[in-house]
Amino acid sequence: MTDTALKSEPADYVVPHHPVRDFLTGSVASIGITFILVLAVGLFWVGPKFVSFGNVSIMGTFLIVPLIVGAFAGFALLSGVVDLSIGSMVGFSSAIFALLLSMGWDPFSAAAVTLAFCLFFGAINAVAIVGFGAEPIAATLGMLVALRGITWVLLGTQGAIFAFNIELFNLVSTQVFGLPLFFLLAIGLTLLAALVVTRTRIGRHVQAVGGDDKAAARAGISVKRVRAGALLLSAFGAGLGGIVFAGQLGSAARATGLGLEFQVYAALMIGGYSILRGGVGNPVGGALGLLAVAGVSNILDLLAISPYYVNIIVGLLLLAAVLLDRLRGGDAFE
Amino acid sequence: MSVNQALDTAPAAAPLKVRFGGLGTGLILAAVWIALIVATGLYRPDFFAQQTLLAVAFTMSIVGVLAIGQGIIGMSGSFIDLSQPAGLIGASLVAVRLSEAGLPFPIVILGAILTGMLWGGFNALIIVFAKLNPVIVTLATNFIGLAALYLVFQLAQVPLNSDIYVFGRQSWLGLPAIFWPMLALVLIVGFLAPRTRYGRRMIAVGGNRAAAKARGISLRATRFATFIIAGGFVGFAAVLFAGTAGPFNPSSANTLQLNIIAGVILAGISLSGGRGNFWMLLLSIGFLSTIPTSLVFFGLSSDTQSIFQGIILIIAVSIDGYRALRRTP
Repeated sequence: MTDTALKSEPADYVVPHHPVRDFLTGSVASIGITFILVLAVGLFWVGPKFVSFGNVSIMGTFLIVPLIVGAFAGFALLSGVVDLSIGSMVGFSSAIFALLLSMGWDPFSAAAVTLAFCLFFGAINAVAIVGFGAEPIAATLGMLVALRGITWVLLGTQGAIFAFNIELFNLVSTQVFGLPLFFLLAIGLTLLAALVVTRTRIGRHVQAVGGDDKAAARAGISVKRVRAGALLLSAFGAGLGGIVFAGQLGSAARATGLGLEFQVYAALMIGGYSILRGGVGNPVGGALGLLAVAGVSNILDLLAISPYYVNIIVGLLLLAAVLLDRLRGGDAFE
Repeated sequence: MSVNQALDTAPAAAPLKVRFGGLGTGLILAAVWIALIVATGLYRPDFFAQQTLLAVAFTMSIVGVLAIGQGIIGMSGSFIDLSQPAGLIGASLVAVRLSEAGLPFPIVILGAILTGMLWGGFNALIIVFAKLNPVIVTLATNFIGLAALYLVFQLAQVPLNSDIYVFGRQSWLGLPAIFWPMLALVLIVGFLAPRTRYGRRMIAVGGNRAAAKARGISLRATRFATFIIAGGFVGFAAVLFAGTAGPFNPSSANTLQLNIIAGVILAGISLSGGRGNFWMLLLSIGFLSTIPTSLVFFGLSSDTQSIFQGIILIIAVSIDGYRALRRTP
């Protein structure tokens, strides 16, 4: 970049456009390569069992909630705010949903009320961050803790609410072509989110706000509205994830959603998002990040290696991903 | 922000508003803290007891020392050190192993502090040479560090009746022994930070990196120094932690993190750097440490504690953000 600026020849004011090169050096390509690498290591080390329908189906079942949560939380990251409260929001949502089911509500109205509650807490995040200019990491950290407290109070001394609904369970664990239906739906949701981000006006507005909020404001985009909307979407996604979680487990417990925010954001950052600057990342990359991390932990699981190595590998991948993001034009920290 | 800060000379008389601006935070904090104490006391007169004082002072100690480290990181513009739990547990493990070897107490303390400094230096190494943001680096190193610690040990405890064990259970002048070093450190750091060359450099780098660099301050050296010093405080906190905690596992320190960050923000130490007074930590940490005891007296379960902590943090950062919005034209 600096070399071209130093040359004295006049610029021709045409933004160089190299779709192929951009794609190859872009965030999706690097996570794609990582993903293929994980696949190769899995095939080499574990054998064909690694990609068997049975094994992928197991991984997929565990990935449904993170994929849903990640697809929506990605919008917040893209708009330049990070919502750390998603893990607690999943726990809170599953607790409220299970509570309403155990009180005899039908699943649809229970889900609607649960999502309304989640949107309410998302709105508090939005007011604090967008309205008062609170630091997103610290404010949503507060929301994370507050929601966990509310969840634990809801769950009572027993620490769990049992609300097994056979129809819901059958729906959530339906298998299509040997894979969980909801896993395929979550993949579909990811692709839909990717379409929204790359092909619609809303998506471009979100990217513009995250990339440079001042420039976006000058271009007539309401930065506040976009960011508030993104935070609401993130809360909505976490609420949805919690409902699915409660449907899968038939209960809500104190540990539901605990630490999910780190799992999701580590994977999203490995997949090309950044929690420090908006405007970068793509839902497909984020989903591949989740799949890659799940693949790594599955390999270690199948080989009966201590699960703590997963965190070490995830940590190293995270550092590598942030370094890559910086080399691609992220802010260098001095 | 504080571009025209005198760095290596004593600061000229600041305008009254600036001088007493910091006092406002203190007055509000003190008022809220006193209100909490009075409210609890009116509801349950037996709140005013030696036992309460002991509990609050005890809670304050470890969080207070860690908050000094966090405050140094925040004030120097590195935002947050999320790897404090891993550093604390690592240093505590060293303290346990050294006391198991029967080494004298000063060596145990030194070992823990050096471990903390080493951890801080390791973080700084990645941050400075890869030029990555401290938040993500410390998030990742905390991941890696805690996992590595789990591979090394599952449960550890200082030997019964070793010096560190006795120290953790002693009380001096009616308060837990571990309270006094915390008080001394906060007072000393709060006194030195705006009055020494190194302290002012740290604040200058946090306030405005470009201006500090233009004045010839090495950003790299300052970054290294702040992380190593902050790590030293984590190491010392580990001595207090290991001496009092009983059996602990690598996850035992995770719950401390929120109180520390909330304490630093409530104290008015800006996470984006350059502003704050360490003495305010005594008020903010004191207030936050009174909440759990108060809730018990109000008959609320310990689960509600998180609700209050979370709401307080949201309000604190909203006020912090609102102030910053008003300051920038």
